[in-house]
Amino acid sequence: MNQTQAIIERVRRVSDSHQRLSLAVESSVLNIKPGQSLLVRQTNNWEPYLRETWYPVSIDNNLLVVERPGAQHYAPGSVIDLIAPIGSPFRFRKTLRSILLIAQDTPPTPLLYALLPLLVNRIAVTLVLLGSARTYATEHLPPEVEIVRGDGDGLTWQNQVTAVGWADQVLAVVSPDREMEQFRALWLLFRELRADIPANYLFAVHTPTLPCGVGACGACTVRLQGGTALACVEGPALDMTRLSFSP
Amino acid sequence: MPVRISKPGKYSLVLDTPVMNAAGILGFGDQYRPLIDFAALGAFVTNPITYTPWNPASGTRVISLPSGALVHTGLPNPGSSKVLTLYRTLWSRFPIPVIAHVVAHAPEEMSMCIAMLDREESIAALEIGLADDLAPSEVEWYIHAAAKRTEKPLLARLHHGASHEHARAALDAGADAIVAFAPPRGTARDPLARLTAGRLYGPMIKPLTLRIVGQIARKLPGVTLIAAGGIHSEADARDYLDAGATAVQVDAAVWSDPALLARIGKDLAGLLLTRPVGIDDELLEQFLSGKPAR
Repeated sequence: MNQTQAIIERVRRVSDSHQRLSLAVESSVLNIKPGQSLLVRQTNNWEPYLRETWYPVSIDNNLLVVERPGAQHYAPGSVIDLIAPIGSPFRFRKTLRSILLIAQDTPPTPLLYALLPLLVNRIAVTLVLLGSARTYATEHLPPEVEIVRGDGDGLTWQNQVTAVGWADQVLAVVSPDREMEQFRALWLLFRELRADIPANYLFAVHTPTLPCGVGACGACTVRLQGGTALACVEGPALDMTRLSFSP
Repeated sequence: MPVRISKPGKYSLVLDTPVMNAAGILGFGDQYRPLIDFAALGAFVTNPITYTPWNPASGTRVISLPSGALVHTGLPNPGSSKVLTLYRTLWSRFPIPVIAHVVAHAPEEMSMCIAMLDREESIAALEIGLADDLAPSEVEWYIHAAAKRTEKPLLARLHHGASHEHARAALDAGADAIVAFAPPRGTARDPLARLTAGRLYGPMIKPLTLRIVGQIARKLPGVTLIAAGGIHSEADARDYLDAGATAVQVDAAVWSDPALLARIGKDLAGLLLTRPVGIDDELLEQFLSGKPAR
């Protein structure tokens, strides 16, 4: 992990709700892996007070591309301060053939950096958008990705039973404001749809606000069965079979 | 220029520079090592340690506020025994003294935790985190419970807004220094409009704290005061020394600007060369003669 600086080279709106920033970064930052993120400070004043978590979505001509909400203003040429990489890479199964990505009530941005390597390795990818994530525009995503939008505000979507049975692995991201509650609901859904949930199959991708991002403050501590894990160090993806959902 | 925090003796605590992190900011030791030059600090304060493991808080833990944040972690830690197993080797290799921050629900629990940590050579001093609702007499119980189990320097971290009477009670019970203060508590609505309580961080904490630090310094002349709260620049740290503090602790600003600690360390070290603060005659003589202060 390093603290370094980057320059916003390009700002490109990809949908009504999101924009992508191309960042000129130190070469070491380009080694960032799917699942890992950046902690960014944009100004020298204290507004915002905490660093923001930015998620990479691709590397384009040696520029690291991140996706940010469209309402934020970013000026090309501005210098930002980075701490990176944050977290551990997603751990994909070696025998992976098909993967289900789920975003519920939050944009799927933390999952998108995995798309290209998955597609290059001929893994079939389905992205399920649930709740408020249904409004996320997907025209800018690779056409090979199957997009499924949920029915209503709940946890149902078309061909749900087939998709859950067909996927070798599942990564789910939910609203950071209701993380454990929504992960629990997903866990119960999968338990209903599958005879058993093996280890390394269903992963909760945690995206809480990270005050430190290095495992020091403890604010992102996740309760496990018989212990704890830090989402900013061992995560963001934690195997749901390890999570403790008790209040 | 070394700064003495505790009385001379077997376990005297002397800092090379009067700046350290506040408890709960830098973890237990290795988390910030890639980002912070620890040698530029006077001491390292651990995350809170309890006798038995404590679980993380339920619900919202962090709320962003205008120029600040509210944080409620629940002080998760695996308990004193496990903490020592995990970190004692690392601490023994630290270039600066390690101060263990201890929290307990009751004086008896404090006593047991201190007894365990007292045996640990890698720990130079102990900082007692005192709860917010303690009266001066209760502060005395906690510090007394700790002091009778250790000869190591004891720092008493008081709740925000505590008076000189709390400080006097801690000193009378055996504390070597007062840490003023823990971050104040506040309540804010989270993004789902739920009211959430936690500790407040931000630049606005400094003026609140600075005033009370000055008051305690005036009421208790000669007290060793370590000021903590809202330090976001070298000038903030200098203000606390002007108010009578001997040293400072920096809290959440480090999360956004990890290099701030080392900058303050260098700045205050330079300041003390020209304007000794919290220095006793013996130390000054040692410094001027070039002999080691410890």
